[in-house]
Amino acid sequence: MPTLPELVARLSFLAAIPAVAGILITANILVVSREWRLNVLALIVQYFFAIMLMTRLIRLEVAAIKGLIGWMSCMIFYLTERRGAELTRAAQPGAGEQDNPTSEQRRWRRWTALSRAAFYLLAGLLVSVVAYMATLRFPLPEEVIPPDITLACYLMVGLGLLLIGLSESPLQVGVGLLTFLLGFDLFYVAIEQSLVVVGLIGAVNLLIALAASFLRIAEFTAESQRAGGVR
Amino acid sequence: MIAGPIALILLPLIMAGIVLIFSRWRSFTALLSTGTALVLGIAILTIPQEQPIRVWGELYVMPGAPVSLLGRELVLESNDRPAFAVLFLTSALIFFMAWRSPSRSLLIPVGWGLLSLSAGILLIQPFVYAALFLEIAVVLSIFMLQSEEGPVTRGGMRYLTFSTMALPGLLVTHWLLERYAATPDETELLSTSATLLALSFALMLGVIPFHSWIPAVFGDSPPLAGAFILTVLGNTIWFLLLEFLKAYSWLSSHPSSGSITLTVGLILALVGGTFAAAQRRLSPLVGYGALLENGMMFVALGMRNQTGLALLFLALVTRPLGLGLMALGLDGIRAHSDGRDDLEALRGAGWKAPWSTLAFAFGGLSVAGLPLGAGFAWRWLIYRTLAGSDPGTMVLLLLTSAGIAVGLWRGVAHLLERPRLAEARSVFPQVLREGRLFAFTVLVASLLCIGASVYPQLLTPLIARMVDACALFR
Repeated sequence: MPTLPELVARLSFLAAIPAVAGILITANILVVSREWRLNVLALIVQYFFAIMLMTRLIRLEVAAIKGLIGWMSCMIFYLTERRGAELTRAAQPGAGEQDNPTSEQRRWRRWTALSRAAFYLLAGLLVSVVAYMATLRFPLPEEVIPPDITLACYLMVGLGLLLIGLSESPLQVGVGLLTFLLGFDLFYVAIEQSLVVVGLIGAVNLLIALAASFLRIAEFTAESQRAGGVR
Repeated sequence: MIAGPIALILLPLIMAGIVLIFSRWRSFTALLSTGTALVLGIAILTIPQEQPIRVWGELYVMPGAPVSLLGRELVLESNDRPAFAVLFLTSALIFFMAWRSPSRSLLIPVGWGLLSLSAGILLIQPFVYAALFLEIAVVLSIFMLQSEEGPVTRGGMRYLTFSTMALPGLLVTHWLLERYAATPDETELLSTSATLLALSFALMLGVIPFHSWIPAVFGDSPPLAGAFILTVLGNTIWFLLLEFLKAYSWLSSHPSSGSITLTVGLILALVGGTFAAAQRRLSPLVGYGALLENGMMFVALGMRNQTGLALLFLALVTRPLGLGLMALGLDGIRAHSDGRDDLEALRGAGWKAPWSTLAFAFGGLSVAGLPLGAGFAWRWLIYRTLAGSDPGTMVLLLLTSAGIAVGLWRGVAHLLERPRLAEARSVFPQVLREGRLFAFTVLVASLLCIGASVYPQLLTPLIARMVDACALFR
C-alpha cells in the first residue's frame, strides 16, 4: 500500500492549474446548488484541491492535518443534515404523500428553481472573473505565493463571501465561511508556519462547522415543531 | 503555586464546567456565577501584585508571576488589571440579571468560557494569537445567542460572518508590520496595515455599513446574551484596539486619525439616533441605542486627549447597566406578549409587566444619556467638552440622543396605554405577577443605574487607573 508522500507524489500533477480549475468548479457548485449532499461532496473535493496546492507551500504533514480538519467539518455537516432529515420525517410522517402538487405547481417550482440557479451561476461567474482580474491587478507577493495559488485564494475568498451573502441558511453560511477561511488560509500558511497558529486556525474551522450545525439543528427543531403544531 | 494569568484563564473555564453541570438549577448557577465574578473582579482590583494568595492548603496564587503558554510568556501587569476587573464586574451584572430573565439559553456557561478567552486575548502577545482567540470567542458566542425555544439567530450568524471577515485583516497586519520592521523604507506597508486594521476593527465593532448584526441580535436572540456580547466581548475588542494603538503609536499619532475617528463616531451616532426614532419594534431600538453609544465612544476616542480617553473608559464601565436593563426589560415584555415586541402588540402590555417596563425605561434613559441613567455622566461630559471646541458636533450628538429618547417615549407610551377593562388598569395586582425576585433584580439594577448617574465620582479612581494604564495621548 502506498504511503501518504507517495500518494501525493503521484497526484502532484494536480497541484497547479488543475487544482485551481477544481476549486473554481467546486466553489461555483457550492454557490449554485441548494442540495446538501452535492454541497458536502463539493466541499470535500474543494478541501482536497486546496490541500494539494498547500503541499507546494508547507510540509505535507501540516497540509494533511488541515485536510483532516476540513473533512471532519464536512462530516459534521453531513451528520447534521442526516439528523435533520430524520427529525423532519418524524414530525411529518407521510409528508411525501400529502405533498402532491399539480402539474402547474410542479412547473412553477421547477421554473423558480432554474431561474434562481441561473442567477446564482451568473453571480458566481462574475465573482470568478473579478477574482481573475484581482489576481492580475493586485497580485500577492510572488516571493511568497505563486500566481496560480493567488488565483485560488481570490476565488475561494470571493465565492465564499458570495455564498454568505446569498443565503441566511446556517448550512450555506457555514460552508461559505469555511470556503472564505480556506482561501485566506491558503495564503496565510505561506507566511506563518507556526504550528500553534495552524492548530488555532483548525480549531476555528471546526468550531464554525459545529456552530453552523448547532443552528441548523435549531432550525430543524423549530420547523418540526411548527409542522407538529400545524398537524 | 499558580501564576495570576493562568488563574485568570483557568478559573472561568472551571466555572463554565460547574455551571454547565448544574445548569438545571438556574438560581444556583446564576447566583454562584454572580458572586464568583464579583469576587474575582474586586480581587483583581485590590490584591497587591507581588503578594501570594493562599487558596487551599499549600495552593497559592501569585498574581504577578509570569507563565509560559503556547510558547509565549504571559504576565498580568498591574496596568492590565482595571480592564480585567471591568470585564468580570460587567459579567457579574449580566449573570445577576440572567437569574430571573425569562429567556433560556447557554448564557452563563458560555459567558464564563468567553471570559476565559477574553482574559487570554488581553494577556497574550503577539496579536496573532489574540486575533485567533477572539475569533474562537465569537464562534462560541453563537451557542449563547441561540435561545432554546426561539428561531435561528440571524443576528448571531451575521455577527459571526462579520467577525470572521475581520480575522484575515488582523492576521495579515501583523505580518505586514514585521515586514516593515525589516524594510523600513517600504512605507506603503504601513498604510496597507493601517487600512486593514481599521477595516478589521470596523467589522468587529459594527461600524456602518457592518452594523446590521447589532439590531438583529436583539431581535431573535435572548436579549441579555446580546447585551453580554456587546458589553463583555465588545469591551474586550475596545481594550484590544487601545492595545493596538499603544503598541503602534504611529497609528494613533497620525494627523488624520482623530478626524477619521470623530467622523466615524458621528456617522454611527447619527444613524443610531435616526433609525431608533423610526423603529416600530422595541428590539431594534435597543440595537440602535447600542450603535449610538458605540458612535459616542468613537467620538470620545477621536478627541485624542486624556479627557476623551477617560470618557471612553467611563462609557465602557457604565454602558452595561443601561444595555443590560433594556435587555432585561425587553425580555420580560416579550414574555408577557407572546414573544412579540412590535408596538401594536404592546399596547397596554406595561400594565401586565410593570417591572419589565420599568427596567426598559431606566435602561433607555441611560442609553439616551438622560438624567437618572448611568450613561448621563459620560454623555454630559462629552457635550461639555465639545461645546467649547466643536459646538456643531455637540448639537448633532444631542439630536442623535433625542432620537433614542423619541423611540423610547413611543415605546413606553404604547406599553403604558390604558387598557379598556377597568380591572386591568390597576397596577397593584400585576406588581407581583412578574415575581418578587424579578422585581428585586430590576430594583437592584435600576438603583445601580441611578447611583452611577448621581455619583459618577465613585468611579473616578478606577477610571484614573485605566487612563494611567493606557498611556495614550500623553
